[in-house]
Amino acid sequence: MENNIITIDIEKMMFTANGKLNLVVNTHINIGELVALFGQSGAGKTTLLRILSGLIKPDKGIVKFGETVWFDSSKGINISPKERNISFMFQDYALFPNMTVEENILFAQPKKSREDALELLAVFGLSEFSKRKPSGLSGGQKQRVALARALARKPQLLLLDEPLSALDADMRVALQNEIYQAHKLLGATTIMVSHDLNEVFRLASHVLCIEKGLIGRVGTPDEVFSDSSVSGKVQITGQIARIEKQDTINIVTVISGSNQIIKVIAFDNDMENLQVGDSVLVFTKAFNPIISKLM
Amino acid sequence: MNKLEAKITQIQQSGAILLVDAEVDGQVFSALLIESATNPEWLQIGHSVNLVFKETEVSLAKNLAGTISIRNKMVCTVISINKGELLSKIEMKFNNYTIGSLITTRAVNALELIVNEEIIAMVKSNEISLMC
Amino acid sequence: MDPTFIETLLLTGKLAVFTTVILIILGLPLAYWLAYSKFRFKPFVEALVSMPMVLPPSVIGYYMLVVYSPRNWFGAWLGETFNLRLAFTFEGVLIASVIFSLPFMVQPLQNGLRSLPDSLREASYTLGKSKMTTFFRVLIPNIKPSIITAVALTFAHSIGEFGIVLMVGGNMPGETRVASIAIYDEVQSLNFSTANQYAFILFAVSLILLTTIYSVNKKHDPWKTI
Repeated sequence: MENNIITIDIEKMMFTANGKLNLVVNTHINIGELVALFGQSGAGKTTLLRILSGLIKPDKGIVKFGETVWFDSSKGINISPKERNISFMFQDYALFPNMTVEENILFAQPKKSREDALELLAVFGLSEFSKRKPSGLSGGQKQRVALARALARKPQLLLLDEPLSALDADMRVALQNEIYQAHKLLGATTIMVSHDLNEVFRLASHVLCIEKGLIGRVGTPDEVFSDSSVSGKVQITGQIARIEKQDTINIVTVISGSNQIIKVIAFDNDMENLQVGDSVLVFTKAFNPIISKLM
Repeated sequence: MNKLEAKITQIQQSGAILLVDAEVDGQVFSALLIESATNPEWLQIGHSVNLVFKETEVSLAKNLAGTISIRNKMVCTVISINKGELLSKIEMKFNNYTIGSLITTRAVNALELIVNEEIIAMVKSNEISLMC
Repeated sequence: MDPTFIETLLLTGKLAVFTTVILIILGLPLAYWLAYSKFRFKPFVEALVSMPMVLPPSVIGYYMLVVYSPRNWFGAWLGETFNLRLAFTFEGVLIASVIFSLPFMVQPLQNGLRSLPDSLREASYTLGKSKMTTFFRVLIPNIKPSIITAVALTFAHSIGEFGIVLMVGGNMPGETRVASIAIYDEVQSLNFSTANQYAFILFAVSLILLTTIYSVNKKHDPWKTI
């Protein structure tokens, strides 16, 4: 059991724009799982990711990958990022500006192989850019290079800090599939910071919610985001994309976890603490929906 | 949405369908549910739950005569009428609860609704959800 | 052309080249340390490095003469162990020039390193690379404009240095008499045409170097583009 989990039991004082916040995380992650860290910005998601990578040293606690101790404040152990066999994909991509796309990949490989690098670039649809410098790429292309580079390391733990935030919806779905494939292919554990419910539902098998420095709900996306305190049998989670006021009502557009657009009528008293971007549960009874075969 | 605090008094089951009776201030309401693989722990007699139903599912009647299939009836007093071009929102007082109903403005006009008037608000059993 | 004129120019060039080479070897690690260290007394070290920019050359020159003097333990030790005299020699002027040009090398390098996003270093570490590999393969190639600036500034500054060379080296032809000293000397002897030749060459070299710096920095405005 011990050697199949990542043990995290740490404390770290964070100095955020809104003052001090103590990050207290005590949880474990099954090795091989694709885990989403979900929560508002400033809650400590990126800090936790950086602690796992070894870039930030916790104030106290333990981080273990299986049996291997990465950090133990009581024994003064703190393994450097270099020794952890991880890959970290940064929010700003952190591509090396002095190297071409191909050189960025080659740099990351533990064992240089031009053949492997070109194959990886082909998988990500980047073949034609292999000789370009990062400054000649679009945001989406940079993101793909950053992901490819993270995979080139062949890490046992892949850490992705909002990997798809800069992409449009189509590209997002395509790359979500690629992350999923890559995760399966590597057999690595993947931990991904995400604000996006779609992404979480599509990719993650396990969700850790972080709220104000503390671990909140934990479980599968269904367990975390579906609400068993409601009897409604048709439950859809999504994010509010638009709120339009019409007559005496509001028409709320919700984009669901499977990228479907749902419109819901809501009243002013329902809307009191809702705004665009909020994650919501839309539910109705099994009696109401009408079913018909798709042509 | 409308929310009434209730206590479950009876659960009747036939196959996968459940008919739950719950009391609000001594008055019995019924809600029709579909069984889950694991019924939540709060779904049992004696438990407090919220009866939840949407404003759009509340029908209104004045001087109701004859018999009607709808089981859940609330005798209310009209608090406010907010008329839109097509849709109007009526707010009513039912015991200590405020109930909302969204009906067409035409219907409001046909009913000749006025504030402080007594009215019957009705909800079909299959429109009521339970929420703990 | 007058052989002493050539000799003086060659000596000036030699001093500047040696100073620059020594400083880039010392300056890169020092700038790295100053850019990233969390050492508590770092501001003190930074101040020390920058002292030559604010102190008159005569102050540093005076202290160096004191240290070089055979009556000082260091000067005495050098003399006894290596049979080396630093006062009024090329070596002595070279050391003084290195110390005096230190901020011109270190500051551009330090600023260049600081302006790199932290994530570049971190990305390299998380890709399993050592600090050394990161320094040579990621950091240095990405601060090229800063390196060019630092080298050109140091070179130009050591060509133009006057006060400290005069204090420490005096005016010994072929040993310590560099162009800036020669100008002063020629003017003192009312030899204006030679002074004019030296002055023009110093002026032209400095102008060319500074023009190079500014055109390089104009081309590279690198951190906006990534």
